[in-house]
Amino acid sequence: MKKLLRILFIVVIIGAIVIQFFRPEKNLGTSTPDHIFEKEQVPENVKTILKNACMDCHSDQTNYLWYHNIVPVAWMINDHIVEGKEELNFSEWGQMDTFDKIGALEEICREVERKKMPIKAYVQMHKEAKLTEEQVAALCTWTEKLSEELIGAE
Amino acid sequence: MKKLGILAGICLAFLFISSTLDASDKTPVKGELNMPENIKAIIDKSCFGCHNTDSKNEDAKEDLDFKTFDSLSKVKKIGALRHIAEVVEEGEMPPKRFLERFPERKLTEEEAKTLTEWVKKEASALIKQ
Repeated sequence: MKKLLRILFIVVIIGAIVIQFFRPEKNLGTSTPDHIFEKEQVPENVKTILKNACMDCHSDQTNYLWYHNIVPVAWMINDHIVEGKEELNFSEWGQMDTFDKIGALEEICREVERKKMPIKAYVQMHKEAKLTEEQVAALCTWTEKLSEELIGAE
Repeated sequence: MKKLGILAGICLAFLFISSTLDASDKTPVKGELNMPENIKAIIDKSCFGCHNTDSKNEDAKEDLDFKTFDSLSKVKKIGALRHIAEVVEEGEMPPKRFLERFPERKLTEEEAKTLTEWVKKEASALIKQ
């Protein structure tokens, strides 16, 4: 029995080492002129909120923590990033049309108001991503204002 | 006696007007939606049941309420239209669970296309207004 446990332990250790060679590609793109921060006048307080609570999964630049390099955590983080960027990628803001931009802005406000975003798992690991009521209000004021500006610019 | 008659007439007129106002509150949904008949028909068939003020589905009506749609601000309206286009195009709406109970409410490919095309046209008109 002891021998069996020892073999099982060795197999698990070897397996854990082997899967480290199957890390997903990191989301570390260079900043482009299409990024929302380049395209729009974003107030500093809103920029801080977006950087702290959104950009890791909704842009081409993720700030990784040390344990994000360890598989299987790396796979989970990568899934969140792929899914997040599919929904909205702030790095591609400049390529979106006005309809999609307003839709995205409305959704940002709706999701944070309903506390669906940022996701709980992210907030547990990034305390600065927990949004206060004032931050949610600031974000929604900005999304509304930017939407109005986008309509006005057409 | 004549004065009483006038007073009664005024009261009757007042009652008639207030009853008309009350009735307008209860107008069928179709009359409240400012959209073409074919679009109304699609929405009535597949969306309105959950997405209206009187729906018991709180999440659905919080997401989108067709009864108050026309009173939304331009930005909110465009946002809602974008949301409709997205969920219809991705086949997220009507939800699978709902369709298991009411398979006849499923949007046909043609209905989904008609609805998304109208949504985009409507949003585009609002943006250019």
